[in-house]
Amino acid sequence: MSHAIAKWIFWVGTLVSLGLFLALTVDTRGQFAALTHADKLDDHVVAGKRAFQARNCNDCHTILGFGAYYAPDLTRVVARMGEDSIRRRLEHPEVAFADSYRKMPQQHLGQQEIEDIVAYLRWVGNIDNHDWPPQDSPNRWKRSTERVMAGAALSPAAALVQQENCLSCHTLGGSGESKGPRFEWIGARRDAAYIARYLADPEKVAPGAQMPSFESLSQEQREMIGEFIVSLAAQGR
Amino acid sequence: MTYKSQSIAYPYFVLALLLFALQVLMGLWLASNYFTTVPQSVVNVFPFATARAMHTNLLVLWLLLGFMGATFYLVPEETGTELAWPKMAIAQLALLAATGVTALVGFFFGWTKGRPLLEIPFPLNLLIVVGALMFLANVAVTMFRAKRWTAVQGSLLGGLVFLALMYLFGVPFYRNAAEDWYYWWWVIHLWVEGAWELITAALTAFVLIKLTGVDRKVVEKWLYVELGLFLFTGIAGTGHHYYWLGAPKYWLWVGGVFSALEPFPILLMLVDTWRDVRHRSQPVRPRLTWVYLVGMVILHFIGAGLFGFAHTLPQINYYTHGSQVTLSHGHLAFFGAYVLMNLTFFYFAIPRIKGYPDGTYDERTGHLGFWLMSLGVVGMGLGFGVAGVLQTYLERIQGQPYMLAQQPIRFWMLVVALHGLLVLVGALLAIRHLLTLKPARPGQA
Ligand code: HEC
Ligand code: HEC
Ligand code: HEM
Ligand code: HEM
Ligand SMILES: [Fe+2]
Repeated sequence: MSHAIAKWIFWVGTLVSLGLFLALTVDTRGQFAALTHADKLDDHVVAGKRAFQARNCNDCHTILGFGAYYAPDLTRVVARMGEDSIRRRLEHPEVAFADSYRKMPQQHLGQQEIEDIVAYLRWVGNIDNHDWPPQDSPNRWKRSTERVMAGAALSPAAALVQQENCLSCHTLGGSGESKGPRFEWIGARRDAAYIARYLADPEKVAPGAQMPSFESLSQEQREMIGEFIVSLAAQGR
Repeated sequence: MTYKSQSIAYPYFVLALLLFALQVLMGLWLASNYFTTVPQSVVNVFPFATARAMHTNLLVLWLLLGFMGATFYLVPEETGTELAWPKMAIAQLALLAATGVTALVGFFFGWTKGRPLLEIPFPLNLLIVVGALMFLANVAVTMFRAKRWTAVQGSLLGGLVFLALMYLFGVPFYRNAAEDWYYWWWVIHLWVEGAWELITAALTAFVLIKLTGVDRKVVEKWLYVELGLFLFTGIAGTGHHYYWLGAPKYWLWVGGVFSALEPFPILLMLVDTWRDVRHRSQPVRPRLTWVYLVGMVILHFIGAGLFGFAHTLPQINYYTHGSQVTLSHGHLAFFGAYVLMNLTFFYFAIPRIKGYPDGTYDERTGHLGFWLMSLGVVGMGLGFGVAGVLQTYLERIQGQPYMLAQQPIRFWMLVVALHGLLVLVGALLAIRHLLTLKPARPGQA
C-alpha cells in the first residue's frame, strides 16, 4: 500500500462516518419529541431531573441503563414499585432499607423535591426505548401473568384481590394502578407468610407504608392471597 | 532529551502518578461497598456515589494530565524547536491541579453536576476549558511556528482538538434525559473510541519510531490507516449506546454494524506494533519499556476490542446493558489502552528527561509492578465478568428483583477486591519505581 492510498483511507473513512452520523443526529433530534413524549416534559419534570442530578442518585443507580450499577435501575421504577413506595423510600431510606445489606443515604429531601423526582421518574418510565430493561418489560409481565391467570382467574384468592380492590393501587399483568409495587414483583421477592403478615399490619412491617391494613380478612384468606401473589412470580418467567 | 522544554513533562507525570494511586485506593473502597454492608451513618456522610465520582474523575484527570505531559515531551522533539511558552505550561498544570483538587473536595460536600463521569460542576468546567485552551494554544503555536509537519504531530494535534471540542457537549444542562445521554456519549464514547485512540495511536507511533528504529515512513503510513479505521468505525459506532435511550430504531443497525468493526483498527495497531518490534534495528533495551509497550497493545485489543465486541450487538446488549458486564469491559479497556499507554510513555520519557544514556534505567521492582498490576486487572475484569453474566441471567433473563440477584454477586465482588489488592500493590510499586528511577547498574545496560 502506498502513502497516498493510506491518506485516502483516512479521509474517506472519516468523512463517510462523520457524514452519516451527523445526518442521523439531525433526524434523531427530530424524532425525540415523539419518542420521549416531550409534550409531558414540563417544569415539574425538569425540576425533578435537576434534583436527581444534584443528589447524585445516578452514581449509585442506573437510569436508561447508564450510571452506576450499585442499586436498582430506575428507568421503569414507577411501573415496578409504584409512586407511593418511591416516596416512602426517598423520605426515609434509613427505615425502608433498615434490614437491607445495602443502604441508600438519607439526604433529607424536601417534600417538593420528592414530588419533582417522582414526576421525573414517571416521565422517564414512558420513554419509548424499545422495551428496555427486560426485567421490567410490561409486555413480559403481561404475557407471563396471562398464562398464570388463565388457570387462576376463578381461584378464591384472585376473587379476594378483586373484591378488596387491591388493583386500585397495585398492578397485575396489564391492569391496575401504580401506587404500590406490581404484584409479580412482590411475589418474586417475598414469601406467602410475609405477605400475610404485611396484610394484617403494613405499618408494623414497613413503617410509613401507604397501604391500608386488611385485618378484616381472616388469617387464612391473607395466606391464600400470599400464595397467589408468590405463584405469580414462581411460574412467571 | 534534546530540548530543554521537554522536561516540563516531568511534573505532569508526577502529579498523574499520585492521582493514579488515589484512584486505585478509591476503587478498593467501591468494591468493598459491594460485599460488606456499610452502616447507614457512613453512607449518609460518604456514600458510594461520592466515592465513585472520585474514582472515575481521578482516572480521567490523571490520564489527561499524562497525555498532556506526553505531548509536551513529544512536540519539541517532533518539531525540532523548543515549546512556545514553557512557563504557560507550568501555569496550566497549576490551574488544572487546583481545579481537580477543588472538584474532588467539592464532591465530598455534595457539589456535583450529578452526571456520571462528568460530575464536575459548571464553574469548574470553565476553568478546565481555560486550561485546555492554554494547552492547545501552546502546542499548536509550537507546531505552526516550526512548520515541520509529520503525521505524528498532525494526528496528535487532531486528537487533542477533537478531545477538547467533545468536552463542550458535556457542559450544558439538558432538559430532556434522552437528549442528555445522547450528547453524554459524544463526550464519553467519542473520547475513548475516537479522540483518545488518535492520541494513543500517535504516541505509540512516536515511541515505536524511537524504540525500534523502524523507518518513520512505514510507521506513519500505517498510522494513517489506523486513524482512518478508528474514525470510520468509531464515529458512527457511537450508535451502540443509542439502542435503549429513546432514539429511533435504526441505531440498532448503525450502532451494531459500525461498532462490530471497531476491533479491527485496534487489531491493526497490535499487528503494526508487532511488525515494528520484529523489524527493529535497535536492541530490546530497557526491557521493561518494551514489556509495557507490547503489554499495552495486547491488553488494549483484549479489553476494548474483544470485551467491547462481546456486548456490542443489540441482541446481546439488550440483556447486558448497564450491568456488571459493562464494568468488566470498562476496567479492562481503560487499563489496557490508556493506563498502560501512559505508563509506557512515562517509562520511555522519564529516563530521557533525566538524561540516562540510551534511555536505560535500573529495572528492578519495575517488572514486578507491571505483572502484579496487569494480572490483578485481568483478574478483576474476570471477576466483574462473572458477576455481570450472573446479573444478566438472574435479573434480566429470569426476572429476579435486582437486590435478590445481587446476593451471589457479592461474593464475586470480593474476588474483584482481592485482585484489586494486587493492582494496588503493583501500582504502588510501579509508581514508586517511576518516581525514584535510577540509572542502570553497571553491567546491566
Ligand atoms: C449510596 C447509593 C445510593 C444513592 C446515592 C441513592 N440510592 Fe436509591 N437505592 C440505593 C440502594 C442500595 C437501593 C436498594 C436497597 C434495597 O432494595 O435493599 C436503593 C433503592 C432505591 C429505590 C427503590 C428501587 C427498587 O427497585 O427497590 C428508589 C426509587 C431509589 N433508590 C431512588 C433514589 C433516588 C431518587 C436517589 C437520589 C435522590 C437515590 N436513590 C440515591 C442506593 C442509593
Ligand atoms: C390504597 C392503596 C393500596 C391498596 C388498596 C392496597 N395496597 Fe398493597 N401496598 C400499597 C403501597 C403504597 C405499598 C408499598 C408500601 C411501601 O413499601 O412503601 C403496598 C405494599 C404491599 C405489599 C408489600 C410489598 C413488599 O414487598 O413489601 C403487599 C404484599 C401488598 N401491598 C398487597 C396488597 C393486597 C393483597 C391488597 C389488596 C388486598 C393491597 N395490597 C391493597 C398500596 C395499596
Ligand atoms: C483496586 C482496583 C480497582 C477496583 C477494586 C475498582 C472497582 C470499581 C468499582 C466497584 C466501580 C463502580 C462500579 C459501579 O458503578 O457499580 C468502578 C468504576 C470504574 N472504575 Fe474501577 N476499580 C479499580 C481500579 C480501576 C482502574 C485501574 C481503572 C482504570 C483502568 C478503573 C476504571 C474504572 C471506570 C472507568 C469505572 C466506571 C465504569 C463505568 O461507568 O461503567 N478502576 N471501579
Ligand atoms: C479503549 C477503548 C475503550 C474504552 C476505554 C471503553 C470504555 C468503556 C466504558 C467505561 C464504558 C461504560 C460507560 C458507562 O456506561 O458508564 C463502555 C461501554 C461500552 N463499550 Fe467500551 N470502551 C472502549 C472501546 C470499546 C469498543 C472497541 C467496543 C466495541 C467493539 C466497546 C463497546 C462498548 C459497549 C457496547 C458499551 C455499552 C455497555 C452497556 O450497554 O452498558 N467499547 N466502554
Ligand atoms: Fe462506545
